[in-house]
Amino acid sequence: MKEAKSVVIGRYAVVLLLMVLYLFPLFYLFNVSMKTQFEYLANPVALAEQIRLSNFAEAWKLGRFGQYLWNSVLYTTVSTLLSLLLSIVAAFPISRGYVRFSSFFYTFFLISLFLPNALIPQFALMNELGLYNTQIGYILLRTGGTGIVFMLMVGYVKSISRELDEAAAMDGCGYVRYLFTILIPLTKPVLATGVILLAIGTWNDIILPVIYLSDPNLAPVTKGLFAFRGLYLNNWPLLASGIIIVAAPLIVLYAFLQKYIVNGALAGAFKA
Amino acid sequence: MYPFGKGIRRHVPFALLMIPTLPYVIFAFGPSLVTVVFSFTNATCIPGIPWEFVGWENYRTFFTASNAGDNLRAVGRSLYFAFTVVLIQNAVALFVAIILNRRLKGDVFYRAVLFLPVVLGVTVNGLIWQLMFNPMGGPVQRILNLFGKSSNFFGSYDIAFELIIFVQIWMYMGYSMTIFLAGLQAIPSDLYEAAYIDGARGWSAFRHITLPLIAPATTVNMLMAIIGALQTFDIIYVLTGGKFETSTLAWNVYAAAFGSGSADFGFASAVGMIQFVFVFIFAVAAMVFFRRREVEI
Repeated sequence: MKEAKSVVIGRYAVVLLLMVLYLFPLFYLFNVSMKTQFEYLANPVALAEQIRLSNFAEAWKLGRFGQYLWNSVLYTTVSTLLSLLLSIVAAFPISRGYVRFSSFFYTFFLISLFLPNALIPQFALMNELGLYNTQIGYILLRTGGTGIVFMLMVGYVKSISRELDEAAAMDGCGYVRYLFTILIPLTKPVLATGVILLAIGTWNDIILPVIYLSDPNLAPVTKGLFAFRGLYLNNWPLLASGIIIVAAPLIVLYAFLQKYIVNGALAGAFKA
Repeated sequence: MYPFGKGIRRHVPFALLMIPTLPYVIFAFGPSLVTVVFSFTNATCIPGIPWEFVGWENYRTFFTASNAGDNLRAVGRSLYFAFTVVLIQNAVALFVAIILNRRLKGDVFYRAVLFLPVVLGVTVNGLIWQLMFNPMGGPVQRILNLFGKSSNFFGSYDIAFELIIFVQIWMYMGYSMTIFLAGLQAIPSDLYEAAYIDGARGWSAFRHITLPLIAPATTVNMLMAIIGALQTFDIIYVLTGGKFETSTLAWNVYAAAFGSGSADFGFASAVGMIQFVFVFIFAVAAMVFFRRREVEI
């Protein structure tokens, strides 16, 4: 089907508008980060006089971003890997009906998406257990095998033939070995989606760190950056540099992973 | 049939299933139910202070105390936030998905850019928009000045909440769009060709082919957006801290329990229960409404 020329131009016009709306804020952020405070106050929107990186060094020194980044990496990696593991251990037998009441378990696990906010009793419990303000406590809260990744996994396992289970069992492969050496490699597309969804969720979480990690040494980048903002709100060039320090690793990582996110994994998984 | 052996080995899957089940019950499901109990008590977060059941007191306080007007406005804002975010975000996302579903030069790049805010997260996005909406000569202020106007943006009682809604939609539009694109790409193109021959194009092709066939994606998007919009408050935390008439039910749960100088767990739980009633009603309504519109290819 050929399209009229005006329609094609219309498409590109909309795309152009969107790109301005999504890229200009980033460009502006970068521009501000290269200005001196004097330069910014004189005219916030003018182009920076020169490529100047001293604000980054200054922000890095003042903001303890090394510590925050390390904390975020720790929380994100551990909770993402554990959650994936728990998700598949839960999803496989439920999807196959290898445990009794598997449809009950399915509903039981997903109902927490709708249930009342658990925030307050959860806090009382964590406090009782001595897990308030600990790294383990926070990781525990971010780990679980029952959310949206569990749901995607149940759907995906259905598309893997049951005969494969039977053939492996016939050859003497046990349940645990089958699950970990044969099934998990087959679920790669969902694992990719799962890594992305879980990692984005934990890396960008700000509410739970604010509630549970009052010790600044334990703060992830989100909380650290927010605290940095509180200290330097009147120094936007410095603050902009801090924002970029936090955002740059994500943008680089995203550049490598985006084809999994946008083209395949996230999209494909929702079709199941 | 379970192929992996009999006897004791038959119980391995169940034993393994308990590994995710126990933490779920202890740290998520259990506390969720306990919220109901808490909402009828005067518990605080200070250890050692005894608490007791107070009946419907917390709920009465919410609706009749001297600041009940604030509470009711927060309910109104929650609904306003949920409706505008859900409708605008999904409408724009669907429109953009349809545009990007055709081959365009650089389409992969456009999709990646639109999804970028989801990756950057609420703190980074929030601060970027505070910079954009800086009342002291920020770019948006400059544009307003051209028309002889100015605004305090996130510090303005009039539009702070609308701006929060704008940032929320800007942030998650790419996410909804990605799911719509997946739905669009699953539609066989020969359906459109057949329709074209029958004279259906443009709006009528959209109305009679696209819309029914992406209904599953719409259900997922709508449901997730409704639940998310009614429960989210991190964007409010980052942008205004609930000031300037931007508090919602979800924010009030947090503020009553963990806000500065406040530790009223009983009252916060009651607000949480009121929030739950709304989530439940709208989620069920959306599910019934959109599921009925789904068709099989």
